[in-house]
Amino acid sequence: MELYDLELLKAIQEIKKVKAKVVCVQLPDGLKPMAEKIEAEISKRTGARVLLWLGSNYGACDIPSGLKRAGIDLLICWGHAKFHKNIEGW
Amino acid sequence: MRVLFLEAPYNYKAELSHEALTYIISKGYKTMGVYAAVQFLGSLEKVKKQLNDVEIKMVTSSPERSQYKGQLLGCDVFTGNLKLHDDVDSYLYIGDGKFHPLALLHGQRDLVKEDIKEIICYDPLHGKINVLKIEEVMGTFKRYRATLIKFLSAKKIGVIITLKPGQEFMKMALRLEKKFTDKKFYFFVDDTVSLNQLENFNFIDMWVNTACPRIAIDDAEWFSRGVINLNDAYSVKEILEKKSVLNEV
Repeated sequence: MELYDLELLKAIQEIKKVKAKVVCVQLPDGLKPMAEKIEAEISKRTGARVLLWLGSNYGACDIPSGLKRAGIDLLICWGHAKFHKNIEGW
Repeated sequence: MRVLFLEAPYNYKAELSHEALTYIISKGYKTMGVYAAVQFLGSLEKVKKQLNDVEIKMVTSSPERSQYKGQLLGCDVFTGNLKLHDDVDSYLYIGDGKFHPLALLHGQRDLVKEDIKEIICYDPLHGKINVLKIEEVMGTFKRYRATLIKFLSAKKIGVIITLKPGQEFMKMALRLEKKFTDKKFYFFVDDTVSLNQLENFNFIDMWVNTACPRIAIDDAEWFSRGVINLNDAYSVKEILEKKSVLNEV
């Protein structure tokens, strides 16, 4: 068994639920070697185009900007839980 | 655009190793504040039982930006971020690496030295502990305090604003102009902060970071003219007047 559960079933269910055609996968450094497996599973089981985010994934606050403009329907951010931003600063 | 967060939970139940428990017992702690990376939150119940079995009370809290109780974030670097209302003898962090538990040290910056608690980091992957003490960050504090003092008299301030939605504090950044009318602020926007571009703007006296607060701590060496965080810019005088470990360096 892998050390961490990638929860790929949840990813696939969400892609199908929102009918995403283009999905961006954002991984923390420790999970980046799993990108090959994730890309293959999602492509095979949903038919969606998978784009891999090259850059950082330091937290749920580290969501890239400009993805919508690139035609991405869904971003899947691994390794973090939802983040509650305080608009008055950190 | 929709975003789905997948937490990638640890597939095993982490429990404190004999080495970790032996160390904790040797310290004579009665109450410990316990936090974990999101992957290891499922192990907190087991850890709680282990601590209770040796008559140590485990307490935790819901830090202000976290989704779950007990979940520590790397940005929990300011006093009060944890929202922990219990007195503790030390902190225990469950997870790998030093990035998250170092936040627990930085979060004690405004306390007096006698009140600083050590951080016991337990790495479930290797069953090892690593103890973080305040001495580890005193050099960082010294440099940071010097930059806070510099801010009082600096005239040309570069303010870094990221366009990443989770870290963007444009309005709060722009309000600096109203609070410090004797300074000239230059506002820089970027996505990922381009640290290698800073030196090109050689007219800047020093920088204020409004993106991830860890940039002004962990990446401080990139800022040859110094950098402080936005929150600290707003309360710089109060921070410097406070009796605290930061001001003891």
